[in-house]
Amino acid sequence: MDLSLIALFLGLGMLVALAMGIWVAVALLGVALAAMIALVSVPAGPVMATTIWGAANSWDLTALPMFIWMGEILFRSRLSEDMFAGLSPWMRNLPGRLLHVNILGCGIFAAVSGSSAATTATIGRMSLPELKQRGYDERIAIGTLAGSGTLGLLIPPSIILIVYGAATEQSIARLFMAGVLPGAMLCVLFMGYVAFWSLLNRSKMPPREDAIPFLERLKATRRLFPVIGLIVGVIGSIYAGLASPTEAAAIGVTLSLLLSWGSGTLTRKSFVDALMGATRTSCMIAFILAGAAFLTVAMGYTGIPRELASWIGAMNLSPYALLIALTLFFVVLGCFLDGISVVVLTTSVILPMVEQAGLDLIWFGIYLVLVVEMSQITPPVGFNLFVLQGMTGRNIFSVARMALPFFLLMILAVVLIVAFPGLALWLPQSMLSN
Amino acid sequence: MRKALNSLYQASTALAACCLVVIASLVVFQVMGRVFDGARKLFGLEPLGLQVPSLAEIAGFLLVGASFLALAGTLRNGDHIRVSILLQAVPSSVGRFLNVLAVAVTCTLASYFAWHAGWLAFDSYSYNETSYGIIPIPLVYPQIVMTLGLMVFSVSLFDDLVQILTGGEPSFEAVVEDDPIEGKE
Repeated sequence: MDLSLIALFLGLGMLVALAMGIWVAVALLGVALAAMIALVSVPAGPVMATTIWGAANSWDLTALPMFIWMGEILFRSRLSEDMFAGLSPWMRNLPGRLLHVNILGCGIFAAVSGSSAATTATIGRMSLPELKQRGYDERIAIGTLAGSGTLGLLIPPSIILIVYGAATEQSIARLFMAGVLPGAMLCVLFMGYVAFWSLLNRSKMPPREDAIPFLERLKATRRLFPVIGLIVGVIGSIYAGLASPTEAAAIGVTLSLLLSWGSGTLTRKSFVDALMGATRTSCMIAFILAGAAFLTVAMGYTGIPRELASWIGAMNLSPYALLIALTLFFVVLGCFLDGISVVVLTTSVILPMVEQAGLDLIWFGIYLVLVVEMSQITPPVGFNLFVLQGMTGRNIFSVARMALPFFLLMILAVVLIVAFPGLALWLPQSMLSN
Repeated sequence: MRKALNSLYQASTALAACCLVVIASLVVFQVMGRVFDGARKLFGLEPLGLQVPSLAEIAGFLLVGASFLALAGTLRNGDHIRVSILLQAVPSSVGRFLNVLAVAVTCTLASYFAWHAGWLAFDSYSYNETSYGIIPIPLVYPQIVMTLGLMVFSVSLFDDLVQILTGGEPSFEAVVEDDPIEGKE
């Protein structure tokens, strides 16, 4: 049988397996196994065991559970309250006022947590009721939160960048640094949009509150200083080359425990809950990575990705045309799959194509995460939508409609990093460990 | 029987969590040792060379333990990701059938994987393979842990298969979600 026909069958098989509700990791393993048995004379079982053993036993990957745990601890601390109380006095006089708390709060929490679900839930728990009580339009409040919650994926530490780094053997430290500026740029885009929106929709904004004197503002913010210290410590030590991501993460866990203890939220129950939550979430991700590692190797044996790459290469597309096609493909895929699955499917099958097109793999990681961020707010499958549905009781389609402007802003951000790759690449190139 | 199985899953997941705690502690010790040595250097003293030997490898092995031992507990808590649009859209009888199919496929694959992981461990044992670090660790130990994790996972899947086929609800659908961020990215 022709290789392209087999590739088509395998692709369809994967989609059918996923649609039937087979767990993502299992679908990856199953398709990889089917490809090996059908196409290759190498014994599939031993290759499966050896590959997954090699992929699962990794120092770099150890950063994954550590950062997840850190997010779980902080999610259970007082950070949610402190963030609202500390940020809101500064935002009162900007156009868009307290809506900016959602965006900046998410940006700050994203810098201690690698997950967009944790970011959305932590910030929203406090800000949604507060904004509602003060008479802000609920639709824009939920929309800003849905959009800026996705920053958790891009601003380091980022779970999905660890997944990408582990799957493509790129430096996680460099990927983290590459995410900083694009993340900050997204924050600025979101805040600009909110300011603009509030000027156009004055009728939907509540009456202005009095400004608070500078010293009082500082006093209200003082509880945020430990978090800012945590951010500077974790990201700064990676940037300066003082610590590997795993080390920074383990120190981050310790400091988060101290912070949680200091604010009186560290109990036996919260400790155990956070630890068990982190254990299960990281197990889920490690299982998917195991499936992806085997799929990558199986695909390598079959030669399908190479064929695909040379087929695309023969079309002589410009990198821009390729990126437009890929973006459309990912957005559609992202409507039905979670971000991590999109990333691992990409790395197993289309990475040779990306290399063939001459794209930098660190840059491509940031591009991919930006596109995956969009998938967090596209129905019917989008984790931020699920979290917000749980918090507000609105169904995911109406949450998605409120988040639509932010989806469009993310497309703008993708265009910007394609036009100015330096946005992603400048910081990793200037890292002190070079 | 029910009680014994549940304790098996819980014990396995708890061990996985312990692996994470040990990783974090070892890494923190390592960093503290480095900071302490740095401080000694500042005062013109000889650095003691404090470090946890072979940390990178040990942490990797513990990560294998954490990932594989938690498989069953993660399944039963409904935290493994699946696309559930179709499952929610179809009538419940079809949904049951899809669940049986998913669990049966997964159980077969997990057992197959456990079998080959077992052989991998056996080979490492018979060829006496160890890690390359300062402390040579026989690879058979972490590989046995991986195999055990996969075996517990297979048992829990078989448990769920029996559960659905006898008219019950699978464990992963009976979960009351109390943590909005768990199992999400």
